[in-house]
Amino acid sequence: MQTQLRPEINLPEQAGYFAVPGADIYAVLHPVTDPVARVLLVGPFASERHSSYHAWVRWARYLAARHIEVLRYDYRGIGESTGVFEEMSFEDWDEDVRFLADQVARRSPSVPLLLHGLELGAILAARRFHEGTGDALLLWSPPANANQVLCSTLLRWTGTEQQYEGLEARKSASEYIRQLEQGQVVEVQGYRWSSSLWRDSFHCELPSTMGDEHLSCEAYKKPVRILKLGEDTVPLVGALLGYNEANELNWLYSSSFDWVAKAVALSNRRAQ
Amino acid sequence: MKEAIETRELIVLDGLDVTIRGTYHKTCEDCSSAQPKLIERGRIGVLFLNPPSPTRAAQGDSAVYWADSFAERGYPSFRLDLPGFGDSEGDPPTELFDSNNQRGYASIASVKIRELVTRFNLAGVVIVDQCSSGVSALYAAASCPECKGLVLMDPRFDQPRIEPLIRQHSSDRASQNCRRFSSNIFASVKGTTLSCGRASPENANPRLRRLKEVASTGLPILIFKTLSRMPKVCEFDYSKYVVGLAGRKSQVVINMLDGADRSFASRLNRVTIRLHTEQWLDACFPLAKHKEHTLRPQTAKP
Repeated sequence: MQTQLRPEINLPEQAGYFAVPGADIYAVLHPVTDPVARVLLVGPFASERHSSYHAWVRWARYLAARHIEVLRYDYRGIGESTGVFEEMSFEDWDEDVRFLADQVARRSPSVPLLLHGLELGAILAARRFHEGTGDALLLWSPPANANQVLCSTLLRWTGTEQQYEGLEARKSASEYIRQLEQGQVVEVQGYRWSSSLWRDSFHCELPSTMGDEHLSCEAYKKPVRILKLGEDTVPLVGALLGYNEANELNWLYSSSFDWVAKAVALSNRRAQ
Repeated sequence: MKEAIETRELIVLDGLDVTIRGTYHKTCEDCSSAQPKLIERGRIGVLFLNPPSPTRAAQGDSAVYWADSFAERGYPSFRLDLPGFGDSEGDPPTELFDSNNQRGYASIASVKIRELVTRFNLAGVVIVDQCSSGVSALYAAASCPECKGLVLMDPRFDQPRIEPLIRQHSSDRASQNCRRFSSNIFASVKGTTLSCGRASPENANPRLRRLKEVASTGLPILIFKTLSRMPKVCEFDYSKYVVGLAGRKSQVVINMLDGADRSFASRLNRVTIRLHTEQWLDACFPLAKHKEHTLRPQTAKP
C-alpha cells in the first residue's frame, strides 16, 4: 500500500452522533489543541455527498493540520445520519446548521468561528451567517437557490441514466421536472425527491447580499469569500467519472486556507 | 457527541497500525444488551466493504439500508471504510486501479475481518461487495477463513479497462453508438471463442480464477446480476461458466435483476436485493431458534 506523507495524516478525529428531533446527526470533529479558529463545514446535497466526500474530508484534515478545529457532518436523513430523506426539508437542514454552529461555538466562544459551505451547504451557511452566526464566511460554488442544485443534479443524473436506457425508456430532465410539478415523487440516485422538496427549493435562496463578495464584506462588516469552482475541482463539484479521475486539489486548499488565515487575523484584531 | 445510538455504534479498528472507521448496526438483542459484544458467540456478521465506492454508505445510502435491514433480521452488520475511503485514513493502494493486478484491499481486508470477528465474538462474516469489480471481496474470501460467505453485486469478469478509457472521450451520441456496435462485435467474437472452448477464460483472468477457486471450496456465494438494458449479442456469461466449473461442492446462487442500475441504489432494486439476501442468509446461516421470536419488525425504509 502506498501512503503519501502529508501532515494531516494521523491526526485525531472523533466521530459521533448529535441527537436532534427525529434523527441523530452524524458528525466528525477534527479536534485541535489551542485552535486559532473553528470551522463548521456545511456540505453539498445528498447525491453530491457521495462523490465529493473524499475531497471534503481531506479539506477538513488540511485545516486541522494547520491548527483550525473542524466539525463536518451529514445532514439528517442523508449518509451516516439517521432519519428518512423524503421526510426532511430545507428547514430541517437549515436547523442542522444552526444547531451545529452553536455546538462548535460553545467549545470556546473566544475563538473565531468560520462557516464554510459547498453548493447547497453554501446557501445554508450563508443564511446562518446572514442571521448573525459566525465571524467569517467562505462559500464554494454557491447557487442562487436550492432549485439550481436540484436541477444540476437532475441533469447530470439523467445524462448518465440515458447511457443505460433503451431509446423508448429514456426520460429527459424536463420530464422528471414535470412529474415533480404534478406532485409526484421522483427517485434520483437512490433519493426520493418529493414535490414539496422541489417546491421549497425555489425559496431556499442565497441571501441577496451574497451576490457579490465585496458588497457582502461591506454589508456584514466581516470577511466573506465567494469562489466559483470549475471543472478542475471535480469531484468537489460536478460529475465524477471514476475515483482515480479526481483532481489534485491542494491548490484550492492552499489558497482557501490563506484566506481563512487572513480572515481569522482580521477577526482577532477586531476582537481586541 | 455519542459514539452509539440505539441501533448503531461507530467503531474504529486500529490493529496493525492501520486505523479504519466503520459503523456497526446492532441486532435487536444487541440493542437491549448492556454488553452487546459478549451477548452470544457464534453469530455470523454481514460486512460491507466499500472500495471503490467513496463512502461506506454507498450511492444513495443503499448500504445503510441493507445493513439496517440485516441487523433487524438478526445478523449484526458492519460497514467499513477501508484506507483512503470515507472517514478512514490513508490513501487507496495504487493497485486498486490497476486492472492487471487487482488484489485491491484483500490483505488489509483480511486483517480487519479477523479484528472484527474477535472483537464481536463472531463465527465469521459474509462479505457484501457492492462494486462491480468484486476484487477485494474475492481475494479476501480466498485468503481469510473467517469469511463464511460472499455476496457479489454484478461482478464483472471481463477486462474492464477498455470501456472506461473510451467513455472518457466519447460523450456524443454518435460515438456512443459506435462504441456500442463495436462492443457488441467484440462480445460476440469473444463469446463464440470461449463457448467453442478455444480459450480457457480463467487462465487469462485472475478474477475468474479466484472466483472458481473460492466457489469450489463450497463457500456459499450469492451473485446478483443485472439483465443488461442493452444486452450485447452473444455475450459470454462468466458467472454461469464458473458455476459449471466449481464442481459438486459449489454453492453459488445467481439472481437476475431486471432493470437494476449499476449501483443498485434505486429503491426497487435495494428492496429486491434485501429480500433475496435475507432468504439466502436464512438458508445458509440460519439464526438460532431461540432468537427467531426476537426479530425486530422491518423498520428500515428503502
